[in-house]
Amino acid sequence: MANERNLSLKKETIIDTDVHLQVKPDEIAKWVDEPFKSIMTKGHIGNPLPDSGWDRSMAGKIEKRQITGPEDIHEKLCEEFHIDHPIINSFGKLGKASMSRLAVALMKGYNDLVLQKYLDDYPHFYGLITVAMQDPEAAAEEIYRMADEKQYIGVFIDNTGPNPPLGDPRYDVVYRAAEDKGLPVSYHAYDSGFIVDFPRQNAGVESFFAVHVLTHPYAHFLTMTSLFEHGVPEKFPDLKFIFLEGGVTWLPYMMYRLNKVHSIRRFDAPMLTKTPEEYIKDQFYISTQPVGEPNNQEDMRKIMEVIGFDRMMFSSDYPHFDFDHPEGLEKFLRVNIPAKDRKKVLSGNAKEVYGI
Amino acid sequence: MTDHIVAEVSEIEDGERILVELKGREVGVFYLDGEYYAFANWCAHQGGPWCEGTLTGTFEGEFNRETLETRLNWVKEGKILNCPWHGWEYDIKTGTCLSRRSVKLPSYPVRVEDGKIIVTL
Repeated sequence: MANERNLSLKKETIIDTDVHLQVKPDEIAKWVDEPFKSIMTKGHIGNPLPDSGWDRSMAGKIEKRQITGPEDIHEKLCEEFHIDHPIINSFGKLGKASMSRLAVALMKGYNDLVLQKYLDDYPHFYGLITVAMQDPEAAAEEIYRMADEKQYIGVFIDNTGPNPPLGDPRYDVVYRAAEDKGLPVSYHAYDSGFIVDFPRQNAGVESFFAVHVLTHPYAHFLTMTSLFEHGVPEKFPDLKFIFLEGGVTWLPYMMYRLNKVHSIRRFDAPMLTKTPEEYIKDQFYISTQPVGEPNNQEDMRKIMEVIGFDRMMFSSDYPHFDFDHPEGLEKFLRVNIPAKDRKKVLSGNAKEVYGI
Repeated sequence: MTDHIVAEVSEIEDGERILVELKGREVGVFYLDGEYYAFANWCAHQGGPWCEGTLTGTFEGEFNRETLETRLNWVKEGKILNCPWHGWEYDIKTGTCLSRRSVKLPSYPVRVEDGKIIVTL
């Protein structure tokens, strides 16, 4: 239902850089060949990509929201939220698939599914090519297979699960493929993978509150540190790196910490020829959701100014429980920052980075 | 600007240094591969006495995009000066900080006349 309160959103061009789907095992099974079809539907181990058991339902306090088809995206995001271009990503859980052959089959099946079910009939939708980092060569091939599809505008990596961390040279073949095809790489963590990367912490905390607070920054800290440790942005200077669903306020902390340790231990990361901050301000981007919530809104404006309005791109994360409605951010930006910067965050940066 | 005789050439062996005080400033005078270098004994990081640090080599990275081969090479042995406080690395020949290329430590002209090392400051 179009909402009269959202009139100012109507006038803005808004690109949502983090839109999720729910794809159940029996649905993805239709897009993969045997034996993987049977593994997904008839296996004795249950879902081969299990959740970690935490209850994220909000104990019945809020409505259950799901996106199970393109019409859901169009209705909820495009009509109700006034999103002009949703960017569909996320085959969550893929990063922790133990069996690399299965991961590769699911990767291809998922990309075909998104293309045919979500993108073909909705020209204003875009998508990211999901890759299984369990098999970097296959992931690179998948980028070349899908890159010429006009609505695929980037590469998507689940960064909970991959081991070693994602700067390791074994993944260079993936980054080279993305750079060759002019596609930015996006990282997105999953709460269900917290149990894989941080098993002791997962066993020790008491609630999904803790898991969710920690999953995204832990994953992004690890991924970003690994990228700098191995000099990935130096190796691939035309590649852009996007960190989704971590909010924005973690970036200054990591940027300055990386600067500090790099200046002291440069010989440990000798591929780098510049400070991490210089690479970040040239090649790195973050999505806004979940925008941190200081008690004093003025504090957020200051932090955003430090980050720079060239680095941030709006995301909703709809339909998840901590999604950001565009009205909140649009209003905050409208009140607090110049119009040209607001437009960059709501659509301009995404247009440039993704080539929309 | 004043010329200061800081030492006889025989007083600094190759790869060695002396510390002197000129106009109230600590200055390190280095002799390396037949050349003299003079720098303020002050690290751009937190003001540490960098001229008192060790001279070592360091790692440089090399990447071949075609083969995807990454190599880390130990280079410039004895030519990298490390601030003793936190290890900020400087190329002794230029005073340039390796991690922050825009940072260059103040250097002073050095020459040799009649067997004497002269720093102008």
